[in-house]
Amino acid sequence: MKRIAQAAVLLATAALALSTTLIWRTWTTPTIGEAEKQLQSRQRLAVLPEASYDNHPLDTPLPTPDAQLAHSRIVSAYRATLAGTPAAVVLITQVQGYAGPIVLTIAITPDGRLLGSQVVEQQESPGLGGRLADPQVHWLTQFANRSLGDHWALKRDQGDFDQLAGATVTSRAVIEALQDALRYFDEHRHALLEGFPHE
Amino acid sequence: MNRDYVLVAALAPLLGTTQTLPMAAVMGGCAVLMVGLHQALLMPLRNRLHGAAYVLASLLILAGLASCLQLALRAWLLPMALLLGPYPALLCLTCLAMDRLLPEAGRWRSLLLHLGGLLAAYLVLGACRQGLGVQLANLAPGALLLLGLLLALYNHLRPGPAHPRLQGKP
Repeated sequence: MKRIAQAAVLLATAALALSTTLIWRTWTTPTIGEAEKQLQSRQRLAVLPEASYDNHPLDTPLPTPDAQLAHSRIVSAYRATLAGTPAAVVLITQVQGYAGPIVLTIAITPDGRLLGSQVVEQQESPGLGGRLADPQVHWLTQFANRSLGDHWALKRDQGDFDQLAGATVTSRAVIEALQDALRYFDEHRHALLEGFPHE
Repeated sequence: MNRDYVLVAALAPLLGTTQTLPMAAVMGGCAVLMVGLHQALLMPLRNRLHGAAYVLASLLILAGLASCLQLALRAWLLPMALLLGPYPALLCLTCLAMDRLLPEAGRWRSLLLHLGGLLAAYLVLGACRQGLGVQLANLAPGALLLLGLLLALYNHLRPGPAHPRLQGKP
């Protein structure tokens, strides 16, 4: 008799725990989706200086033909405008890093200079390639204001840029992705700056 | 075996998430919430279930609580949830350790006292690790050293004679 009572209490506990969790999940799912969307847009647009644009770039993605580049792939493209004139083009690209894909957001000015770039996603080794995303390591800022005319390679490959210590593969991948993005912008300048976005 | 060794299991979330003060504060709050709710929900079951059934019920409750906590963090504190990673779920270990170690008599008073201590440990450790600015303090092993130093300081400053166990006597 006592065992049956125990089993019943246990069963009731299990049912209560499970149903509460499921209800809680249904209830929080929309909020989580909204929070993720907000975080994503903040991450993707963090490369643009504040007050340098007054539209909502993420609402109108641009068409990206020939998105597969030499080393990387353009995931999406957005145009930031200020008072109707293009202020920058934001390209989201994905490149194969050392441990997995690296997703970068890259902002390019209308005259083809790199405005800035930031990491959206990466799985590089913590303490080595992972320092790419560390806000205290300003490795990515050395590329600001550079354009296609520079030598896009590490210094050890006779280029212009320092590498992340101990993370040659990661550094090369990022540099190639940045150069790819600048080239892509150069080839599709007209469409990116003046073309009509997807409806 | 000394029952207090169970507390070692509760160290993982404490050492893993106190890199900065805000992280430590959120985790400390979560720990207090989890342990409090776990104890409150177990109270009506304590007299009805015994042995393995009690442990199973405790684990079921913890699974539900941890899932809800992770979802809530993702919904309202998403950047913080990403920083904390899997550690909020590991607070289950703290809950289990607390459940085992709390005395039967004067359980609630003792619970409040220990929760206060736990929250203080999170906050002080978080403040020290952020304030020191030393590379070692940022890593988990450094946090363990720092926790040891803080405990030594606490025992040194504490009024009254030290507990016999802390003097190495059985």
